[in-house]
Amino acid sequence: MKMHTLNTRVPQDLDPDLLDFLTTYVDSFIKWELLLFFHQNPNTFDTAEGIARYLGRDKEDVQDALSFLKAHGLLDEVVVGNMLAYVLKPNAELQDKVQKFTEATNDREFRRKAVYHLIRK
Amino acid sequence: MSYDTRIQTGITGFDTMLGGGYLPNTTNLIEGPPGCGKSTLGMQFIYHGAQQGEPGIILTFEALPETYYQMAAAFGWDFRRLEQEGLLKVIITSPEVTQIDLEHANGVLEHTIAQMDAKRILIDSVTHYESAMAHSPNAAPKSKVSLMARGTPAPGASEKFVERDRLYSFLNALKRQGMTTLLTRETTFLFGDEEGFSGGAGIHFIVDSYTMLRYVEIMSAVRRAIIVLKMRGSAHDSAIRQFEIDARGLVVMAPFEGQEGLMSGTPKRMAASFIKAFVRK
Repeated sequence: MKMHTLNTRVPQDLDPDLLDFLTTYVDSFIKWELLLFFHQNPNTFDTAEGIARYLGRDKEDVQDALSFLKAHGLLDEVVVGNMLAYVLKPNAELQDKVQKFTEATNDREFRRKAVYHLIRK
Repeated sequence: MSYDTRIQTGITGFDTMLGGGYLPNTTNLIEGPPGCGKSTLGMQFIYHGAQQGEPGIILTFEALPETYYQMAAAFGWDFRRLEQEGLLKVIITSPEVTQIDLEHANGVLEHTIAQMDAKRILIDSVTHYESAMAHSPNAAPKSKVSLMARGTPAPGASEKFVERDRLYSFLNALKRQGMTTLLTRETTFLFGDEEGFSGGAGIHFIVDSYTMLRYVEIMSAVRRAIIVLKMRGSAHDSAIRQFEIDARGLVVMAPFEGQEGLMSGTPKRMAASFIKAFVRK
């Protein structure tokens, strides 16, 4: 049986597009979860508090990640009264990348490599 | 759309109870205990519309859209395909965001409804809306302002009145968009009416129609019952009918026969009660 060490799991053996996506957008587990959440629930329209409740995560952590994804063009921010709500930004190119990332996460080996990438940061 | 046009739910037997279907541009309440079929009825209403080329929206405050895709698939309704075809959107949001977004022109929901040319909407469930809005710091000031604008003194207004005003505004916003709305509402009791009538902010009075789903126990078996209690502007069936959920969704059948006290959850055979009331005395 081939033995793997953590050193063989370095991101260099990832698909270059996926590695680029990971490096650019996914530097925390919360962002990973948010990307999957919006991909699976593309008509979400809610505040950080509401989205944190769906994920079962801390509101402040989710707020930071949402702001990051908004700044990187994946989400739009909508002012609703005195609240800020988030929706998926209609950007076909970026959504294709999210789709590719989502499909890749179905592969256990990819998830191991991606997790290693995250914990190294 | 003429006033006589009916918005069919596609549910065998239920449209007949409604005199052909719901009236267009109305708000319609479906109330019942957990697991009795409220969401299924609502999804069937949306699915039937989509099959007729009428786009619909499911607005959920708790269950993730994924849940609806899975529930619908069990009945052979492909909600993902309908979304791809622009005939459906399952939107997850919170009551506060919904209320305030609808109050403002060109909001996200208004834009979505216009873009899809949506005709039907399922609010699943209005219980979450009532609960959240009763405690929402974001929505309360707005409503007090609207009360004052209408000449009603906000300081003297009871909390129930403010909640009712907010609910009225929310339902009217959906009517303004030309939607035929179906709202689900939870009751906590499984059988009968042990906790008494829980009217919340008076939703039963505001909506245009009110249908109740119930569990009833007959001969040591649990059956499901449906009754249309109110339908503004239309005659409707007043019988308490049995319904089942099978591979097609809800199927409404004949009225219960030879039973009375069905709404108590534990009906009695009519002959026995007749004897008890008139003979033994």
